[in-house]
Amino acid sequence: MAEIVGVLGVTHNPLMWSNLRESVPEDLVGVTANFERFRSIVTDLDPDVIVLIASDHFHMLMMSNMPAFMIGKAPSMRAVHPNEVRQFGLTPSRISGDAELAVHLLGGGDLTQRIDFAFSDEPWLDHSSVIPLLFLTPGLDVPVVPILTNCNAPPLPTARRFAELGTVLRESISSFRGERRVLVVGSGHLAHELGGPRQFLGTSPDPDFDRKAVSWMASGDLDAVVDATSFERLTEAGNESYQFLNFITCLAVAQGRPASFAEGTPTRFGNLPFFAWETS
Amino acid sequence: MVNKLMWEVDRSDASLSAFKTDPAAFLDDWVTIGQSPVSPYPEGGSLTAVERDALAAHDYGDLYAMGVNPFLLWQFARSVSVPDEMTGDELISSFREAVEPHGYPDFHT
Repeated sequence: MAEIVGVLGVTHNPLMWSNLRESVPEDLVGVTANFERFRSIVTDLDPDVIVLIASDHFHMLMMSNMPAFMIGKAPSMRAVHPNEVRQFGLTPSRISGDAELAVHLLGGGDLTQRIDFAFSDEPWLDHSSVIPLLFLTPGLDVPVVPILTNCNAPPLPTARRFAELGTVLRESISSFRGERRVLVVGSGHLAHELGGPRQFLGTSPDPDFDRKAVSWMASGDLDAVVDATSFERLTEAGNESYQFLNFITCLAVAQGRPASFAEGTPTRFGNLPFFAWETS
Repeated sequence: MVNKLMWEVDRSDASLSAFKTDPAAFLDDWVTIGQSPVSPYPEGGSLTAVERDALAAHDYGDLYAMGVNPFLLWQFARSVSVPDEMTGDELISSFREAVEPHGYPDFHT
């Protein structure tokens, strides 16, 4: 049977990649240390597969065809799009998948889960998936099942729905008959703004939200975080803060356990999230 | 459809180059292609005169006020304006100045 060996939540800010390629600026020392800490956790957990909860940024999914939740079910998938090469210096690559587990998470032969997932047989991952993988598994050598969520094109699924997604993933991973050590990784932001008046302020657009967000994860208060993260409150935190919802999925996968590590690491790009849950 | 156009310009090197070279011609082609879409992923689309003017003029404040997706707008602005028109820091400043008066428009589609 498959076993969830751990749950992590990390930033996918692509500027971490472009700013950390040659040296470590002073304000990113904490981020570098946390990525090293989390990379060590991944090494110790020795997962067979990563179930990755990330938000496509209009690369695969556009308003012409926008699912709430999509599973990539392919044995191999492309990673990095041309504009991410141009803007962030990312390198196009291929990442192995786990189609057998992906089909099971989708519902098996029928779409029987409580979440009506969309699916892709040709997933093409963007920086929201690639940045966590590059920092946690630099060799990109652990197969991935991507779960792409709509956190960018409202109307969005509610926070309650993201929690339900986590519960469904936990149950369906646990019922998979194949032998797998499964690491669940969530990718997202705390308070974050892009394309609005509060972008690139040199600090978080909403430090109060960040403090509460870290507290919800540290205490494992699933009901509180669901109740407090309406679309309006997330917009108040910054118009790209919706990707925090992926961490609510992580908390639900972890059954509302208090995170063993929870931090909003301060940088000039805002406070960057690092969450870890032990599952056994 | 403005979101779709900004997306196309940012994601495709060829479209970005064509838009930067001759915005009017690119926008004409966009509308023409949109009138005869190819199934199942139609390219091109329709634009109002106001939308067309704002796109051609790189008027990020007007586009923002229309309720376009802010993420797509920033991606479009950065790809179109940096480095040919200004530096990244200059875009951050001018962009903020352009969008700030409009607060947070509803960008649901």
